[in-house]
Amino acid sequence: MVLSQKLHEAFKGTVERITGPRTVSAFKEKGVLSVSEFILAGDNLVSKCPTWSWESGEPSKRKSYLPAEKQYLITRNVPCLRRAASVEEEYEAAGGEILLDNEDNDGWLATHGKPKDKNDVEENLPSMESVEISKNKTVKAIPSYFGGDDEEDIPDMADYEEADNVIETDAATLQPTYLVANEPDDDNILRTRTYDVSITYDKYYQTPRVWLTGYDESRMLLQPELVLEDVSQDHAHKTVTIEDHPHLPGKHASVHPCRHGAVMKKIIDVLMSRGVEPEVDKYLFLFLKFVASVIPTIEYDYTMDFDLGSSSN
Amino acid sequence: MAREESGPILQFAPFQSSVDEGFWHRLSSLKLNKFGIDDSPIPITGFYAPCSHSQVSNHLTLLAESLPSDSNEESSAETIARGNRNRCSVPGILYNSNTWESFLALDKHSLLKAEAEKIWDDIHTGKAVENCAALSRFLLISFADLKKWTFHYWFAFPALVLDPPATLVDLKPASQFFTLQEAESVSGACNEWRNSSATADVPFFLVSLSSDSRATVRHLKDWEICQGDGEKLLFAFYDPCHLPSHPGWPLRNFLALICSRWNLQRVQFLCYRENRGFADLGLSLVGEALITVPQEWRDRQFAPNAVGWELNKGRKLPRSINLAKSMDPTRLAISAA
Repeated sequence: MVLSQKLHEAFKGTVERITGPRTVSAFKEKGVLSVSEFILAGDNLVSKCPTWSWESGEPSKRKSYLPAEKQYLITRNVPCLRRAASVEEEYEAAGGEILLDNEDNDGWLATHGKPKDKNDVEENLPSMESVEISKNKTVKAIPSYFGGDDEEDIPDMADYEEADNVIETDAATLQPTYLVANEPDDDNILRTRTYDVSITYDKYYQTPRVWLTGYDESRMLLQPELVLEDVSQDHAHKTVTIEDHPHLPGKHASVHPCRHGAVMKKIIDVLMSRGVEPEVDKYLFLFLKFVASVIPTIEYDYTMDFDLGSSSN
Repeated sequence: MAREESGPILQFAPFQSSVDEGFWHRLSSLKLNKFGIDDSPIPITGFYAPCSHSQVSNHLTLLAESLPSDSNEESSAETIARGNRNRCSVPGILYNSNTWESFLALDKHSLLKAEAEKIWDDIHTGKAVENCAALSRFLLISFADLKKWTFHYWFAFPALVLDPPATLVDLKPASQFFTLQEAESVSGACNEWRNSSATADVPFFLVSLSSDSRATVRHLKDWEICQGDGEKLLFAFYDPCHLPSHPGWPLRNFLALICSRWNLQRVQFLCYRENRGFADLGLSLVGEALITVPQEWRDRQFAPNAVGWELNKGRKLPRSINLAKSMDPTRLAISAA
């Protein structure tokens, strides 16, 4: 972690400790949420999209300003069938989805793909439903923690492969398909990663904050750095950083919330300019729709559809 | 054993494991602060939910809450650790060895057999009808190398082996099996079951269809009530598997329960799956299996053969994970500098 980031964390921590949580609503004015509005919006998300649930997390990390059983929201085992990094090279990503252009050009909602030759785009436009991954050189084999090269002391598991008599061959057990394919490390295997996506309340910025925990196709934990392959490349390393999760152990990738309030404010302004009265309990749906521009290939659920029209301006 | 309709052998997609980083953190803390060198087995809780995406199976997941609390004050953790619709609790047992050698020396065959016998007992005593999650009981062996922050582990999902194996008469998407009216009623009843906090984490249940296409979802213990009336009865379970061609692992012990407790030879089952948290009958499957109940199965003393050690990328190997990056104080200090 860079020093400036570290200093900022320390500063933020101190401010969080000495200031009380927001109690007055500033949702429409600033795009931020009070603690009770976060709970309200979270309850609504859980009821409309039941793959999300509230959790309490590590007891030692519990925040006193949130109810014990509603510390953060999580949806587990969310598929991510393709790497955002490789998708972006192939097609003009989600141009129509982007609602707002940021005049300051400081990165939040810039469309994250550059238009290519038209025919090229047409042919290569991948179907998001498709499991077939096109062979893209930029996609590397997925290393897991196992056998990392700096861990020379890990015993070579292959030496301990069990003899057949320990695990019985059984006619009623379906054999995994990759047994007949090539070695798991080969380029042919399915690149289905899965993610646990969690939303915490950031007391300093007074907005929700998204965290990503990735798993490779054999459900082994991904190093947070590899998670950046599933982040829109405009955001990787800039707005998506790797930090300590406020409720869970370990380092996790997170969309940094410093601009969330401003972006949400803009979305709310657009809604209001169209005569739509934004309701605070729908905040997380809007928020997750916007987060989808940062992590376009992680298929978490935010089903509720809004008529936000085409791009503004 | 000549059966006229003998179809293909019914094959089940194995359960897959997934361990959250928090589980290893808490295990380390328990090992250091509480267990010491005591390596007696620890009861743990795994969590799973029905498959909720057409391309990804669900897993049996271990979280920090899978282990007993590591703090000394017993808080209200019990109520919180209870399942919800996205995490149905499954009982499991952990054998954590003190050394690499003792980890390798564990008698995997006997350990699996011991867990399978618990399932067998639960089936015979009727406990499995009351507390059906026990049908998916699992086993985990591990060695936590706390000097290197490396964890070696191996899961088993014990399944009683039917001999001869069950055969498949029919298997198709539930949407093709039910009439439109039935499908609507089944979805509605299942969603209600999933939305009630009293039943959301009960992974095995009955779906009965009356002659006027109305579906009712019931607890297993209500099997007797569903008899007669000419009702169609399906044995349903939360299926973690996403494959359109195969049911998931929990059906195995469920079939064992059905055939030994209710003495059925022809079983209609519903592999319940969801999309975005709601019943999806296009993804869910309805199948019909034929079971020949082995004579010995009537005898409680008889212990059927069991299988279920998880493969690691198709090989018979334990898995390993190194968490030095998030646990090693020197590395943490360097990255924080």
